[in-house]
Amino acid sequence: MTTEIRKVLIANRGEIALRVIRACRELGLKTVAVYSTADEHALHVRFADEAICIGPGQSSQSYLNIKHIIAAAELTGADAVHPGYGFLAERAEFAEIVQKCGMTFIGPDPIHMQVMGDKVRARQTMEKAGVPVLPGTGVLTSGAEAVAAAERIGLPVILKASAGGGGRGMKIIRDMRALPSTLETAQVEAFKAFGCGDMYLERYVESPRHVEVQIVADKHGEAIHLLERECSVQRRHQKVLEEAPCSALSDELRAAMCATAVTAAKAIGYHSLGTFEFLLDGDRFYFMEMNTRVQVEHCVTEMITGIDLVQEQIRLATGEPLAHLNREHKPRGHAIECRINAEDPVTFAPRPGTISALHFPGGFGVRVDSHLYTGYTVSPHYDSMLAKLIVHAPDRPRAIRRMRRVLSECVIEGISTNLPLHRWLLKQDAFVSGKYDTHFLEATMDPDAIRAEAEPQA
Amino acid sequence: MSSDPRDHNALPDLRYIRELAKVFRQYDLDEIEIENGEQRVLLRRSDIASGTGQVMVRPQVEYAPVGHAAPAPASAPAPAAAPVSNDTFITSPFVGTFYRSSSPETPSFVEVGSTVQRGQPLCIVEAMKLFNELEAEFPCVIEAVLLENAQPVEYGAKLFRVRKL
Repeated sequence: MTTEIRKVLIANRGEIALRVIRACRELGLKTVAVYSTADEHALHVRFADEAICIGPGQSSQSYLNIKHIIAAAELTGADAVHPGYGFLAERAEFAEIVQKCGMTFIGPDPIHMQVMGDKVRARQTMEKAGVPVLPGTGVLTSGAEAVAAAERIGLPVILKASAGGGGRGMKIIRDMRALPSTLETAQVEAFKAFGCGDMYLERYVESPRHVEVQIVADKHGEAIHLLERECSVQRRHQKVLEEAPCSALSDELRAAMCATAVTAAKAIGYHSLGTFEFLLDGDRFYFMEMNTRVQVEHCVTEMITGIDLVQEQIRLATGEPLAHLNREHKPRGHAIECRINAEDPVTFAPRPGTISALHFPGGFGVRVDSHLYTGYTVSPHYDSMLAKLIVHAPDRPRAIRRMRRVLSECVIEGISTNLPLHRWLLKQDAFVSGKYDTHFLEATMDPDAIRAEAEPQA
Repeated sequence: MSSDPRDHNALPDLRYIRELAKVFRQYDLDEIEIENGEQRVLLRRSDIASGTGQVMVRPQVEYAPVGHAAPAPASAPAPAAAPVSNDTFITSPFVGTFYRSSSPETPSFVEVGSTVQRGQPLCIVEAMKLFNELEAEFPCVIEAVLLENAQPVEYGAKLFRVRKL
């Protein structure tokens, strides 16, 4: 049995709102944009069939305002809601309210978000499903318990917030004496940041790679993987560049990792799109966390599989089976994505402002997902991401050459961006050879060389 | 941008302005002015010389925006017909459906000419079966009701034009 979808409300902004509107339009679905007063002139407002203002610039009163978003859906007669990523995308209560109001939530069930949003519960669930996890603990109740656990596991260890994720709320412990006091501070910080002070501990991997597997599952218990993405180029635990496939995986390791992700998805009865993030330590991998939504970097998977993930996500939300997707997928070529942010290329400080001139690259094998236009004002209220530059080529060396070409063509004037960082990065031997870990970028950054990559601003 | 069009845009329907702005841009106009009884819209290319082609939505006024048509010295006294800039609007803090009364049988909370006290109910904005009563935050006289009963409203939609007391 399937539920029909005719009109989709997109509870998001920026490039992902555009991405969803584009998918809907091609599927013949009507779209409703919601926007804050700061986004009055945004492209998602213009490209949607209808647009409703839901609040002032602060996210808490607009894009996170469940009541206003539901009212907008009700007013426009939307029968489905797409949450995008960020904002309400992983809030179980939002999915629940959408469903209670008789609309289709384009994503998994609230229970999947609850299990995976609680990192301790997620660890335990995965361990039960036979997925490798790093040696670690449940929620820590005292400094003494933490010390005992750390002695058993061996230093260094890492303290993580149960309500954290995405690299937030973590502390590395190398000195046992520091553990009890660090735990206390971390608990306070986690409580302030996430409203929950629960912390747990895991073995710390010194030189890991971040490799994740894309899962697609239907509401009938079927799940497949769409290969992996390599996301080790990071700064402050935020991804900077992603590629697919991962050059560090042997065919055997890739098969094992992807099969593990499928097993894990089936074990929790998951449906919709999902990503299993793994830490790769040599030839061993460990479950890190699961993201129950479309990811920023979904595009690289789309390029090497030829599958429109957002359209499939909408189709699966109606209850249709995997059907044509239900097969083994092989990578076709190599894809790289660079996240272009409005920030200082060296200090990463956000740099809002107005775009005075804009030229996006083009040509064979190039894709640009962006909400920018000349005259667009980057608001300090939201995420600093401006554009995703994506290239596709038959192999990794050619994809790298194509990305260098693309970065040299890209012009964004009026504000500071991290384009120079990407230009520099694509020249580094460690990157080109594919031998890098999650610390590579921050450990080897050369501020002068990066700044030298900036083109003279008019 | 230093000026938010919303601050001095005294028009009830943003969508209308948006459509106008599209026409404005499409035909590369320098100025467009439309009048219908009590409303008047003036769109003017703000800075032709710089070539930025930015479109400004000017407030509903009975005269040209100060400092544009006539480069009068800043110290010149403001024209006597300034009251328009004193227009005050009550806007919707909710997204929902606008109702002028608490039920179809009861009279409207306020009419044009009504004097309302602080805390007095003005209308209802219904969302998800919840009836949010909107109260006056200051004493005022209702000069215009800008929406029909049972019309959908978005956040910031202008509901009443009022005169503060």
